[in-house]
Order: sequence, then C-alpha cells, then structure tokens
Amino acid sequence: MNNIIYATLGLIALYLYVSFASLLWEGLDRKLVARMQRRVGPPLLQPFYDFLKLMSKESIIPKHANKFYELAPVLALAVSIALLAYTPMGFAPLFATKGDVIVFIYLLTLIGFIRVLGAISSGSPYAQIGAQREMIILVSREIPMMLGLFTILWRLNYLGVEKSFSLATFYQRNIWELGTPLALIGTFILLAVFLAWLASEIEVGFFDIPEAETEVAEGPMAEYSGRHLALFELSNALKMFVSASLVVAIFFPWGISAYIGLSGTAALIVDVLFHTFKVFVVLFISMSVFRAITGRLRITQAVQIFWLRLLPAAIIGSLILAIDLLGVIA
Amino acid sequence: MNGRIEYWVKIPIGPIHPALEEPEKFIITLDGERIINVDVKLGYNLRGLEWIAMRRNWIQVLYLAERICGICSFSHNHTYARAVEEMAGIEVPERAEYIRVVVGELERIHSHLLNLGVVAHTIGYDTVLHLSWLAREKVMDILEDIGGNRVNYAGNMIGGVRRDITEKHKRAILDMIYYYRQEIMPKIEEIFLYDPTVEARLRDSGVIPKRIAIEYSAQGPTARGSGIKKDVRYNEKLGVYPDLGVKPVTPKEFTGVIKGDVFDRMVVRVGELWQSMEIIERALDQMPEGKIKAFPKDNMIIFKLKKAEGEGIGRYEAPRGEVIHYVRAEPGRDGPAKWKMREPTFPNLFAVARALVGEQLADVPVAIASIDPCLSCTDRVAVIDAETGKKRILTEVDLLKESIKKTKEINPNIKAKPEKIGIGRCVL
Repeated sequence: MNNIIYATLGLIALYLYVSFASLLWEGLDRKLVARMQRRVGPPLLQPFYDFLKLMSKESIIPKHANKFYELAPVLALAVSIALLAYTPMGFAPLFATKGDVIVFIYLLTLIGFIRVLGAISSGSPYAQIGAQREMIILVSREIPMMLGLFTILWRLNYLGVEKSFSLATFYQRNIWELGTPLALIGTFILLAVFLAWLASEIEVGFFDIPEAETEVAEGPMAEYSGRHLALFELSNALKMFVSASLVVAIFFPWGISAYIGLSGTAALIVDVLFHTFKVFVVLFISMSVFRAITGRLRITQAVQIFWLRLLPAAIIGSLILAIDLLGVIA
Repeated sequence: MNGRIEYWVKIPIGPIHPALEEPEKFIITLDGERIINVDVKLGYNLRGLEWIAMRRNWIQVLYLAERICGICSFSHNHTYARAVEEMAGIEVPERAEYIRVVVGELERIHSHLLNLGVVAHTIGYDTVLHLSWLAREKVMDILEDIGGNRVNYAGNMIGGVRRDITEKHKRAILDMIYYYRQEIMPKIEEIFLYDPTVEARLRDSGVIPKRIAIEYSAQGPTARGSGIKKDVRYNEKLGVYPDLGVKPVTPKEFTGVIKGDVFDRMVVRVGELWQSMEIIERALDQMPEGKIKAFPKDNMIIFKLKKAEGEGIGRYEAPRGEVIHYVRAEPGRDGPAKWKMREPTFPNLFAVARALVGEQLADVPVAIASIDPCLSCTDRVAVIDAETGKKRILTEVDLLKESIKKTKEINPNIKAKPEKIGIGRCVL
C-alpha cells in the first residue's frame, strides 16, 4: 500500500518537474535557434508566459465541433502524465515491469492519436488535412523505432537482466557493453535512426508537416484556443521530453551519482538533473540544429524517407546486432 | 465520377492565411492532398487609386503611384513618369536615365532578396528568411541614403529625377556591391542552387510549362523561369538599358535545364541579382555629367502638361515583371483624365493557379510565393449577391455612389456636394 502512495507522489513530483524542464527547454530552444538565425529571440521564460496567458484566455469552441473536441486536450495531457510513469528518467521507470516497453509505445502513440481525434472533431478543413497528415506520419514513423527498440532490448536480454523487455533494462546493461566492432556499427546506425525518429516525433525541420504553419495554419491545432490549446501545448512539451528521454536511456544511460558517491534521494535528484542535461543535449541536436538547417518536406517525401531510408537502416542495424550475437560471421 | 466528388474537400486559402502576405483568396478543391481545381478570388485590397488620381494633378499622382505597392514603389512612379513623358513628348536628360537605372536595379536587388526569404519561409526554412532579410538591410540603407527613405524614395520627376547620385553615394554603392559579391551571393547560390531541402521542395512543384506561360501571358521571372526570353528592358530597348548590355536571364545559364518550376523561378532571381549588380557598376561607370531634370521648376511641368493632349503608355520591367501605365490627358485639366495600370501579378496569378492543378496542397503556398504576388497593385472589385450568386463588377460611378451613400449614413449633416469626376461614362 505504501508503495503505491510513494509511487503516486513520485509521479506527481515527476510531472511537476518535467513540465518545468520541458517548458524551459522550449524557451532555450527558441533562444538558441534565434541566435543561429541572427535574431535576439524571445525571453527564456516565454513558454511559461505563453502557457499562463493561454490558461487565462477564453476558449472558443467552433459551432461544428462535437463533444470530443473539448475532451481531447484533457485526455492528451492525462495520457502524457501516465506516460511519465513508464519513462526512464535517469533511474528506472516508476512502474517498471516486465514488458512495459509495449505500454510505453502504446501511450506515446496514443497522444498523437488523440490529437488526430480532437482535430477531426473540430470540423475545420485545415485541421482535417493536418489530421490526415499526422495519421500518415504516425503509421510511418513508429515502425523503424519499434524495430530498433525491440532488437536492442532482445540483445540486452542475453546479457542477463532482471525484467526482460522493460525500459528499466537500460540501467543494468547498456548497448555499449557489447563492445564488439560489429555491435558498435549496428548501434551507431540505430542511433541515427533514433535521432531522426525523435525529430519526426516532435515534428520539427523536415517533419513539421502536420502543423505546417504556412500551409494548413497549424493543422490539428487550427481551431484550438485558450485553455484547450494550453493543455495541448503542455502535453506536447511532455511528449517531447519523454521521447528524448527514451533516446537518452537507450544510448546514454550512465548516471553520475555513483561516481560522486551519493545514495538515496540525493542520488535520485542528481541523476534526474544529469538526465535532464543529456535530454537537452539530444534535443539540441535533433531539434534546434535540425530545425535551423532544414525546411519542411512534402508528405510524400517524408513518407519515402521513413520507408525507404529509416526502415532499411533500422533493419540493417538490427541484423548487424543479431549477426553479432549469433556469431554467423566470426 | 459523381461518387468520387463526395470525397472532394474545398479549402479556402485566404483572405487571411499565414502563407499569404496580402489578402487574396484561393478556393482549392482537394482530393486527399491532390489539387483538382483552383479558383482565384481577388478584390480584398482595393483602394480606388485610379479614382483618387482623377482628383489630383500630374505631380501629385507621382506620389500616389509610389504608394501603389511598397516593394516596387520606384517601378510604379518610374513607369508613370515614362507614360506622361511619352504623352507630352518630354525629353529626359541622359544622366537622369542613368540615375533611374541605378535606383531601379537597387530596388530589384532588394525585392529579389525579399522574395528569396519569403519563399524559404513558406517551406518552413526560416533561417534563410532571417539571413536573407538581414542581407537586404544593406541595400535598404543605400536606398535610404539616396532617396531619404527606406521604401518610398520619391526619386522620379516628370522629365527627370529629383535627386542626384553624388560621389559619396557612388562609393557606398560600390562598397555594397563588393559586400554582396563576397559575402552574400556565394551563400545564396549555395542555398538556392545546391541545398537538398530547397531542391526537394522547389523542384517539380508549381510547374508552368512554356505553352501556358505564353497563353496566360506570364511576366517577369515567372516567364523567364519557363524559358521565355521576355524582358522589357531588352525587348523594348528601354531608355539607356541597351548600352548597359541587359539580357533576359533564364535558368539555362545556371542549371542547364528549363523546367518552369518554382526552383527555376528562384534561379532566375538569383541570376538577376548578379545581373543587377553588373548593370549598376556599368551605369555608374558610363554615367555622363549634366542636368538631371528637363524642367528646373515643378510648376513649369504643370503649365506644360495643362496644355497637353493625347495618351501615353509607359512600360518598365519591375522586379516582378512588366508593368504598364496608361495615361490620357485633356487640355485644360491639370491631372490625368484617365490613369490605368497593368501589373505583372495579374497574369502571373492566373498562370500559377492553372499550374497548380494536379499538384499537392503542400505546393500551394510556395507556388504562390514564387511569383512574388503583389495584390495591392492588382485588385479590382467584384460584388457577389449571396442569395442569387450573381456577380457584378463595380465601376467608379457605383463605388462613388456607394461611398456617398455611406458618408451620408455616417454623417447626415454633411453639406458638401461631390465634385465632377472622370470623363465619359464615369461622369456622375
């Protein structure tokens, strides 16, 4: 019983911390990109101001919207909070169990799905097109990611872990421990796939297609305003942090608490802070730099990238890892 | 076929839309992401300039012409001045023609840099937008130096120009050209000729084949991007341009192929940036000494034009294409009896609307931005009765009647009688 209470309190604390950290990153990202574009950029805390302002604004509901329109932002935020319980944050996920990776992927995809439902419910043609695009991207982007994730977890299983196919695995064994040259090659290929997937998950640069501002006027978000938009913005920020956390946990899971000899709560806090720093570094590469040096693709070109570039890359990376284990090539 | 129509969606792009710089409306019929039909609706930006002009004198209209469009403000009053000069048979001093060339080409540089940024913005490549607009500041500074203003430089006068280009200006312009050649142009070429994102998005989108470009009478970079060698400065031997060796720029000289897509139009603009710099250098080199005005005093122009009769046409290659001004004079009137302009956006807009059929929705903003639409120049009024769906084009008389009605509605105490305007059918 106590365990559940502690876990729930931990989740609430985590939610508050991640909301702060992800909004702070958005501010940092805007500032960094602005500097890359020789602009001054908004203040660092601008996303917080935006959020508070939106929360206090009236929310306009279109005449043709149905009930799900108002429900969708709440659901999206609820799902993102639930997702935090399954996200590695410098320590094993709060509710880590055997096979929780499936719940993780399910919840991550569900956020996108709820956005689509909310957009379709709004009755706006722009949102409709944005929803179509989001759906197409959704089904294309998850497959290379899932393939890579499952292969790595399967491979780590052979190194002996407590809970197989759990995201907690990464804090016991990590992919770099394999050490063989072949495994290293496979890992680097998968790292590239994951960085590209991260960019498409948070929809920047090439993949800013569903919310294309100059084409479909923010797509799924076209009709949302006020509180509803604020909730969506927050759930998007959480999703961005969670997706980056996955990449960090897979490829850069090391903590620093053990090295500086901390334990207990202090170690947890230090690990979370260090994890946040790594997340910011990954997001800097996959988000800020990527968004500064690329433009948006057409939907057909993006789908081609997923199926003709990323999927084969994921297959090759996975095969290399499998060959390394099975020892087909000595 | 009827079964499929149910899946078609009509999407309005505009009048207010993030992709558009000015109010215009495109009703796009979509089948998924594929475009079935494009319907262009104009008339959201009409200011009744032609009507206003009939109440002003010849000199005042110069300043009105400048305010037709903020970007090609020099082109419009240059063209208007040419039309009036042709009508009255005024000889322009050669130095004035050279100064017109220099300012006109400076304006072309700033307009093209602006458009390169806008096109990059519509494909979400915001870094290019910010950097190319930063580069544009340099030429804006020069224009401010010469004309005293960043946008409306008021350089032209009927029969010459109002401001001379001094040695100081000349040095500043040459410095600017050096800076652009060394720092900006290599980067711009790298982005618009070799960048993979730009190539992926701009290649094969919004293709205007040569035949359609001719049929719809496309102008400027839009026509040249489709491979038509059309440039008023070259074809009409405009002013002193033949001495400066101006030639229509086509994408063939840069990429070797002509496809008529958005990419080609941008290549033409990049080529014209190079060309404009060369022209400015030559013009500064060859510029003779002498007068800059045919008439030393402005009231002499009014006096001469009051007696003028007949009509005149001015043509000039504005950054967006050929702009034509038509003026007609009546003796005894100190202003134009009729003033009419034809802007390049009007034919280009319909050519690009035709070209969009069969392409993807994602191409609409970039294709529209690629012709550099200037709707404040283009708009005419059409009124549609919502109940019957009937369409009626309003003339000046109707507009005047409506506005008098409205004024009386707002302020019933108003006493002043509307004065006589226009000629022929336009007399109220």
